[in-house]
Amino acid sequence: MDIRKRRYALVIDSRKCINCKACVVACKAENGVPIGNFRNWITADRQGEYPKLRIDFEPEQCHHCEHPSCVRVCPTGASWQRKDGVVLVYADDCIGCRYCMVACPYDARYFHEESGTVHKCTLCSHRVDKGEVPACVETCPSKVRVFGDLEDPSSRLHELLATRRHHVKEPQTGNGPQLYYLL
Amino acid sequence: MGTKLMDRRLFLKATGATAGAAASLQVGCLSYFKKGRSGPVDRREVPTTCELCPNKCSAIAVVEYGLVKKLNPNPENPKSRDMLCARGNAAIKQVYDPDRLKQPMIRVGARGEGKWKPVSWDEAFDFAAKKLAEVKEKHGPQASLWSSTEGFQEVFFKNLGLAFGSPNTVRHPTLCLASVNLAYSMTFGTVPSFDLLNSRYVIMSGANRFESIITPDTMDLIGGVMERKAKLIYLDPRFTVTASKADEWYPIKPGTDLAFILAMIHVIIKENRHSKDFVAAYTTGFDQLVEHVKPYTPEWAEKETEIPAKDILRIAREFADAAPRSLYYAGRRSSWYQNDFQMRRAQAILNAIVGNWDQVGGMVPNAKLPKGEFLFMPWDEPKAPRVDEIDKHFPLAAKGDGVYLKLRENVLAGTPYPIKAWMVYKQDPMNAMPDQAKTLKMIEGMDFIAVIDVAMSDMAWYADVVFPESAYLERTDPVEVMAGIWPAVVYRQQVVKPIHDTKPNLEIVQGLAKRLGLSDYFDFTIEQWVDAEFKELPIPMAAEHMKKHGVWAASGQPSYGKTLTPDHRFVTKTGKIEIFSERLKEAGQDPLPVYASPVQPPNDRFRLILGRVGYFTHANQSNNVWLNEFMKENDLWINPKPAARLGIANGSTVSVTSSVGTVKLKARVTEEIRPDCVFMLHGFGKKSKMQSLVYNVGASDAVILETAWDKVSGNAAFHETFVKVTNA
Repeated sequence: MDIRKRRYALVIDSRKCINCKACVVACKAENGVPIGNFRNWITADRQGEYPKLRIDFEPEQCHHCEHPSCVRVCPTGASWQRKDGVVLVYADDCIGCRYCMVACPYDARYFHEESGTVHKCTLCSHRVDKGEVPACVETCPSKVRVFGDLEDPSSRLHELLATRRHHVKEPQTGNGPQLYYLL
Repeated sequence: MGTKLMDRRLFLKATGATAGAAASLQVGCLSYFKKGRSGPVDRREVPTTCELCPNKCSAIAVVEYGLVKKLNPNPENPKSRDMLCARGNAAIKQVYDPDRLKQPMIRVGARGEGKWKPVSWDEAFDFAAKKLAEVKEKHGPQASLWSSTEGFQEVFFKNLGLAFGSPNTVRHPTLCLASVNLAYSMTFGTVPSFDLLNSRYVIMSGANRFESIITPDTMDLIGGVMERKAKLIYLDPRFTVTASKADEWYPIKPGTDLAFILAMIHVIIKENRHSKDFVAAYTTGFDQLVEHVKPYTPEWAEKETEIPAKDILRIAREFADAAPRSLYYAGRRSSWYQNDFQMRRAQAILNAIVGNWDQVGGMVPNAKLPKGEFLFMPWDEPKAPRVDEIDKHFPLAAKGDGVYLKLRENVLAGTPYPIKAWMVYKQDPMNAMPDQAKTLKMIEGMDFIAVIDVAMSDMAWYADVVFPESAYLERTDPVEVMAGIWPAVVYRQQVVKPIHDTKPNLEIVQGLAKRLGLSDYFDFTIEQWVDAEFKELPIPMAAEHMKKHGVWAASGQPSYGKTLTPDHRFVTKTGKIEIFSERLKEAGQDPLPVYASPVQPPNDRFRLILGRVGYFTHANQSNNVWLNEFMKENDLWINPKPAARLGIANGSTVSVTSSVGTVKLKARVTEEIRPDCVFMLHGFGKKSKMQSLVYNVGASDAVILETAWDKVSGNAAFHETFVKVTNA
């Protein structure tokens, strides 16, 4: 087994996002997300007056933070983080108290009515562990998301972070989010 | 242990709620399903070809325990590249849609009342054959109309109509792209692709490529604009997603694009910026063009288009300077105005004079690949002339496609002869055609209507019998060659067995053919048909390859410039690129595009314009539960200025009235549209109760759109309707 250290993250080039929703539907299928719930979504910021207008789209999902507040507040340890940074919920231990939903600065979790537990983006860890990329990354027509390993200096992700200006959202929370948005 | 019990409970709940209909099993509960089983996951992957829109993207279907769980993009397809859009991903819900047609049904109440009797296939076939025979007996075979939309199995339906003896097959192009296809064919002898991957300067009139997804153009353009520094100039009365990504957006006055293009040609010729060598070697009629565009100055065009003359001048210069890596992009749905053909012709001429033909980053004639043909028994050509009188009214138009709106006018008038049976495959004329009241009138006049479809469209809702077709994931279809800059062959193979009592179109056609005494013409299986096609593909072990990969792409770099040889003959009358067209002149049309100011809406009216979003293309997609989540109801875009004048608040219900109908829907007061236009999305306000998510929700554009068409191609003109908007 490969024991090299990994740290997964996403770089997001929002300017290329055309709000086509392919990522949202791909996630829905891949992860069996119920109607009315979403593990990822796209925000639209519309500004200006006719004819001087702009729209900025931004894909959103769990930021798989370095110091995830959702994990800290979980009373049972159901919310946990893998060594490679992926934040998950262990359904068997989740009591559905939803503290994590309140603690998440990105509102990235939802309560799954049928199972009575909290669900969220798993970064498609079941695909990633097989060497594939997350469904949202793969299906995107304009390739907005770049998935990769921060510990791998030869990755495209590494190159983008080294050469392009970027920012993270809500850095003041101290969560250390790992979704890097290119400027 | 506790979890196991819980899983079982959940599983029972999920299945029990659907009364044992395994078909309605939601993909979402598969994970519970899986846990309860021991051993490895029963999983397989089947490459196939998407059918949610005409792009034909390659997908790999992941099947777990016999259910389609996921569709992944297949990167082997050079056209769809490595993507699958929202619609493609949502195709799973086409299969597991509780609204699906699940068995043949015969109408028992009045048309449109929604009373149906489930019947056996034999009953449905017997009924339809009897009715068709009656119509043939009384009025002749030409009294049957065969409407269809493109699809890999469309050929069988069309052939049944012809073998039955009717010349009246009518396809979708004149509701979509007939004008652009004809304009480029009349100029270059073919419809080229646009090399957006390599272009440096792109001008688009309304072709909203970032919402109306076309492969590979959408992906190539976003890469071009955002990564490779290509410049995008975008003209549209509406601030679309494409407008938001463009370097320059001009909210052009609707219907005046031709003036903008003519002024560009004027500047380029006046300043001697055209490609003299190319024009001399490959074109004819340039001298007439020089004279023709003299009056079309940028200053003149500014008055027509509301685009500043200095910008037109600059854009024309930049466009010519960037040539041959510049293009005026043709677009796809070109059913806009009554001068649409001439507007597209002007684009083609502008492209021709800067010499971007068959160049990297310019227009490229499509490369093709050979494919075998199954030799079926030929039938006698139908004897009667077409009911749309295409030869008389649109001598230049594509004969086999027909002219939809003229056809409807003739059917309603009963000239030149009556049409009494209407057969429909995979199309919803109730929503695809403008002026729904007229379509309803046409329906009233029919002795018999049959619809073959996956779902109960509005058209099916008014039929006498519906034949449920298997969804694309349940079928094997003929092989398709996709011509283009990167040509490819795609194959659609059955991913899962039909979950309801449905059949592929070929078997439906054969069921009818058998009873109509036409079996000899359809005496083959889909496997035999496909095998014949495989045989002549330029692929070693073609059948094995296509079944394993679902797609084959010609290797190597695209070849540019193959037509740029002195002895190359373009497929036009003169063998040259025709700037001035003798054929148009002979047909009584303008041989060079002549501009006439479009009629503008009076003060209290708005021009209704149409368009698409990335997750809905066809009217049937709004009822897909995964897509419907993004927009549950359509609304009317209206600029805040007129909205304030009319006292219309955002979210309030408004009445929208044209000369042919009124609809009610919610207002979206938005800065993102010109004050003289309103916009609404297609695919809502359904009449069919088996489109449960959109039945009577929002409004159908077809109700208020008026009948108008382009005079050369016969293409519907969908942007010529003026509407009154009032608080409801």
